[in-house]
Amino acid sequence: MGDSQYSFSLTTFSPSGKLVQIEHALTAVGSGQTSLGIKASNGVVIATEKKLPSILVDETSVQKIQLMTTNIGVVYSGMGPDSRVLVRKSRKQAQQYFRLYKEAIPVTQLVRETAAVMQEFTQSGGVRPFGVSLLIAGYDDNGPQLYQVDPSGSYFSWKASAMGKNVSNAKTFLEKRYTEDMELDDAVHTAILTLKEGFQGQISGKNIEIGIIGADRKFRVLTPAEIDDYLAEVE
Amino acid sequence: MSRGTGAGYDRHITIFSPEGRLYQVEYAFKAVKASGITSIGVRGKDSVCVVTQKKVPDKLLDQTSVTHLFPITKYLGLLATGMTADARSLVQQARNEAAEFRFKWGYEMPVDVLAKWYADKSQIYTQHAYMRPLGVVAMVLGIDEEKGPQLFKCDPAGHFFGHKATSAGLKEQEAINFLEKKMKNDPAFSYEETTAISALQSVLQEDFKATEIEVGVVRKDDPAFRVLSTEEIDEHLTAISERD
Repeated sequence: MGDSQYSFSLTTFSPSGKLVQIEHALTAVGSGQTSLGIKASNGVVIATEKKLPSILVDETSVQKIQLMTTNIGVVYSGMGPDSRVLVRKSRKQAQQYFRLYKEAIPVTQLVRETAAVMQEFTQSGGVRPFGVSLLIAGYDDNGPQLYQVDPSGSYFSWKASAMGKNVSNAKTFLEKRYTEDMELDDAVHTAILTLKEGFQGQISGKNIEIGIIGADRKFRVLTPAEIDDYLAEVE
Repeated sequence: MSRGTGAGYDRHITIFSPEGRLYQVEYAFKAVKASGITSIGVRGKDSVCVVTQKKVPDKLLDQTSVTHLFPITKYLGLLATGMTADARSLVQQARNEAAEFRFKWGYEMPVDVLAKWYADKSQIYTQHAYMRPLGVVAMVLGIDEEKGPQLFKCDPAGHFFGHKATSAGLKEQEAINFLEKKMKNDPAFSYEETTAISALQSVLQEDFKATEIEVGVVRKDDPAFRVLSTEEIDEHLTAISERD
C-alpha cells in the first residue's frame, strides 16, 4: 500500500525491544473519552461518554456506538476517525463471511479479523497504528461476549472492562461491583454508575451513549429518553 | 529517509508523538488559520447559510476567480476554509464523488454522506505516511429530504459533526464563543443569514462592503445551493446596519 518510498515499516523495535509507536498509540487511547463494557449473564452492555466540543454541535448527528452486525456492537476510546475505518472494514468482513458460509459470523471470528487489521497497521509499510481501543459486544451461540482490542492487535475476553481517561478508577469500581450472576438491567445501572464516577458536569441522556444486546440477539443503542429513565432509577 | 521510532520524524509524517498526538494533523489545523480568513456557518429552521471573508490581495486580480464557496451539485454546497489549492483539489474530487453517487444509486447524494466521505478521506491522510493531510476545513451544506437543513463541518483530523452553527479559520474560537452565547441565551434560537453576517462582522470588528464577503445559502423552499449576488449581500448589510 502507498508510495514505494514508504515501503518500510514506521513501527520498528527500539533497542530495548519495545514497539514505541504502539505505546504512543496507547497513550492516545488513554487520553480519549472513557468507555466501558459489562458482560451480564443474559446480555452485554457497552457505554461511553459523549462529550462534544461545543453546544453548537448537533448531538443527533453523532453516534459513537456502532453496529458491526445485527448482533455485534462496538464502542471505542481514542481517535474517532480511526474507529470509523475499523468499523467499515469489520462490517465488510462480516458480510463476506456470511456470503461464504450463509451463517452469521461468530463474535470471536469478527474480533479476530478486526484485530488482524489493527496488527497489520503496526507492521505494514507507510502506515501508523490505529489510535483506538475497541470494546466489541456480541451475543451468539456461545452466549454473551465482550472483547477488548488494543492498537497492537491483541485482544482478550473480559467480564467487564474500561478504557480511556478514567480507566483505573473505572476498573476498580467495576471490580468491586461485578458479580457473575448479574442481569442485563443491573449491568446497565452499574455501567451508568461507573461513568458517573469520573464524569465532569451533569450526566444526562444527551452526553452518554449506551448500547445493549440481550438474548434476543439484537444489538441496539438506547435513545436519550431511555437513558434518562435509567438515570432516574439510579438516583 | 525516515526510520520511524519517532526520533524527530513525528513532526514530518503522521506518526504518533510520545504524548500520543499527531503533529502533522495539528500543523494542518494551523495552516487553516494561516490563510487569514474566518468563516461562519449557521443552520436555521428552514435554511442553512455560510459566510466567509473574501480577501483579494492584489487589485490586478480578477475578483470573480477568488472564491472559497463551491457548488458540489445543484443541491450541495461546500465552503473550504484554508489553503486554496487543497480546497480546489478537494472540490474536484467531491464533485466527482457526488456525480458518481447520483449515477450509481439514482438519487442525490445527501449532505451527511458527502461529509462522511470527506472525513474518511482525511482520516486516510492522517494514517498513511505518503500523503499529508489537507489544510482545509470544509463546511458542507444542503437540505436533506428526511432531516431538513443540514450543516456539517469536516476537519483535517477526519472528525465530522453536524452543527447548529459553527466557525472555521483565523477567528474561529471568538466566533464560536459568540454563537454559543446566542444559543445559551435562547436554546430555540434559529440562526438565519443575517445572524451569520452580523456574527462575522462583530467577531472581526469591522463593517463589510458587499464585495468583501461571500455568502452561500440553501433554503427548504428553494433547495438549490446559491451564492448570493453583491446586490443581495448589500441588502442584508443595509438591513443589519439599519437595525443597529
